[in-house]
Amino acid sequence: MTSTSLMRIIIFILPIFSWYITSTIASNLNIVNLNGLKAQFQTAIKSFSDVASLHYTLGGVKELGVQLPDSHCNDIKKLVDKSNVESIYHATEAAKTLVNCKLPAEDYRSTLTSVLQSDESKTADIYYAVCSSVNLGLNIDESNIEKRLNTLAKTDDSILSQAYGLLTGAQLSQPIAKYYADTINDLVQQADEIDGRILQYEGGIGTTAFIVNSFYEVAEKAGVSIKTDPKQLIKFATYFSSKRHVATLRSAYYLTKVFKHLCDNKNPVPIVVSRISPSAISPQNPSVLVSITNLLGQPVGEMSVVAESAKRKEDGVVVISKQKLIPKASDFSVYELPFYDTKIPRGFYTIHLTLTARNEGKLIGLTDNIIDVKVTSQGTIENAELIVADRDHGAQSKTYKLTYPNAQSDKLELDYHQKLTVKFQIKDKQSDEFMPVQQAFLRFTNKQSKKEIIYLAEATDNGNSQYKVEVDLTTNANDFRYQSDKYELVLILGDSLLQNAYEWILNNNVHLTFHEDSLPDKDYKNLYLPRQEIIHQFREDEKRPPNIVAFVFSTLALLPLLLLLILWLKLGFNLSGLPLGLSPLGFHISHGAAFALMFFYWKYLDMFQTIRYLALISIPLFLFGHRVLSTLAARREKKA
Amino acid sequence: MSQLGQVIGILRKLNDEYQISTPKKLKLIDAYLVYVLLTGIIQFIYCLLVGTFPFNSFLSGFISTVGCFILAASLRIQLNTTNRSTFNVTPERAFADFVFAHIILHLVVINFIG
Repeated sequence: MTSTSLMRIIIFILPIFSWYITSTIASNLNIVNLNGLKAQFQTAIKSFSDVASLHYTLGGVKELGVQLPDSHCNDIKKLVDKSNVESIYHATEAAKTLVNCKLPAEDYRSTLTSVLQSDESKTADIYYAVCSSVNLGLNIDESNIEKRLNTLAKTDDSILSQAYGLLTGAQLSQPIAKYYADTINDLVQQADEIDGRILQYEGGIGTTAFIVNSFYEVAEKAGVSIKTDPKQLIKFATYFSSKRHVATLRSAYYLTKVFKHLCDNKNPVPIVVSRISPSAISPQNPSVLVSITNLLGQPVGEMSVVAESAKRKEDGVVVISKQKLIPKASDFSVYELPFYDTKIPRGFYTIHLTLTARNEGKLIGLTDNIIDVKVTSQGTIENAELIVADRDHGAQSKTYKLTYPNAQSDKLELDYHQKLTVKFQIKDKQSDEFMPVQQAFLRFTNKQSKKEIIYLAEATDNGNSQYKVEVDLTTNANDFRYQSDKYELVLILGDSLLQNAYEWILNNNVHLTFHEDSLPDKDYKNLYLPRQEIIHQFREDEKRPPNIVAFVFSTLALLPLLLLLILWLKLGFNLSGLPLGLSPLGFHISHGAAFALMFFYWKYLDMFQTIRYLALISIPLFLFGHRVLSTLAARREKKA
Repeated sequence: MSQLGQVIGILRKLNDEYQISTPKKLKLIDAYLVYVLLTGIIQFIYCLLVGTFPFNSFLSGFISTVGCFILAASLRIQLNTTNRSTFNVTPERAFADFVFAHIILHLVVINFIG
């Protein structure tokens, strides 16, 4: 077989394989927090602010089986807004839950008719109007409404609009309802799938519950069952049961309705399988107890429950295969699986359960259920030693053998040139082999200040899990802040698969002496107090010498000028040869002006202005200069 | 002792030579050079004493003296008749260059002095 064809086969098989893998991931359904929903409605009953909350609260409470007094009828009449079709809808729905609450139909007729006839009405408005009319006993023109719905379906194809369409169809005659019931599957396909486990609609829990509820209502009116893939229903159910609390009354109301539909025997009912015994299996707790109920926690009849396999998470070792669970409760909601056996090694186990319904019912979610348990064991500490050795001459050491739970009786004195080593092993009593533990610490507690210094004990990698922790009193001295004091030495061990944890006091009286002076403890509380305010300091000017010094040196710098004049005079500065006339004068003036410009530049001007002025001055300067120099040159030529 | 005496003798001889053979123009320029040098030295001593703040002012002043010294020295070289063969400029041209260069030097120095 060539490598390319092998590759092709693998590429072909792999997606199928992975699809099978993903499709067997179990749904994690939880039992609904019914008390939470009840409490939410009960708080809402105390005071109503608008007619929608009235509707949701009364409706929700009625679904949960409690009948409220008719006095709420007055609240409905007070809060309803006659001109708003949504308000009328909520009012009529709320009135429907009470025993004897009649609303004045005539008051609302005009609003309802206008909404039904208006071209502006959306699908939601049509639904509100139709539902209110039906509740109030008013006549409606079914064919007209059907036409309106069809027109609206073409312009608005959002999911919410389709859901309202379904609900309206549920209020009309059965054929119309059936037509809408056939579209349920399309709507389910439009839901968003998350992680392969959850189906939801955009808009959150309330909207999803509202839409799914509309499926059930229209299917009920049409007299058909919801023809959707059970896996999709389970994904919806997972989404609904994952919320412990919902924020709004609307979400709570529709969630309650959806849960009631999902637990109704006429519809497919998702099964919730959960473990009600503690997660650790031990001789005191040898069995796994599994509860099998519907979403609301009610029993679902007799089932045959089989544990297909119980695999250890670590290495996949199968310890139980195809074992039937024993029913424990009379209503067949609790089943027992005896698990504990001395031969079963310690570890985390995953139990796969398969359920088969005894009666013909529409139960879904019967396969792919998983229960997690762990088998713990007892441990013993063996071969524990405490070694005091010299840092430099490792050979000189003293070994003390320790047995749990005895502590060393004499005090231990350690110096800065010594190091302390603690070695130990932990053995699993059941399997008689050495095991690694998740927590192994050595703790020093300063007896005076109660400060703790903790070191991690590490195990060797080979099979016998020899643990060792070493504390060197020179390199580790800073951990103790060089505080030479009396300490308590404790070994702490723990593991999630060990039945007992250890806090073994190795020695109560350990004297540590460090070389350096002790440092105070870091005050960690101060880390969270406000720090000192930093006041911004502008950059300070650099120190300058006092004015006198500067003045003296300025005059000193000018002194050589005097010297120059004197020297020049002594040498015979030829002032007499100075030519007089326009050009020389002009030259000297422009030359002087250039230097004056420099002075002004220093004091007042900037570069651009100076350049401009300089350009201006340099014209006469060059002119006159040229003339003067040519005169001088001519004079020199004449002399020579 | 005798070495010092020898050095003094050489220096005196140098001085005499200088006084005799240097033309007056060049002596004037030499005096100017000495003046500039002194000014530069005084500035430097001041900087050593009180530190280099503000550094730009010190640099500007010092470079001004150095620049003047260099320009004057180059003028002296160009004016020296014994160098006529190497340079082909008239004294007037040298002087004009000297003035032009000075203007630029002073522009830069004043800009930098801050």
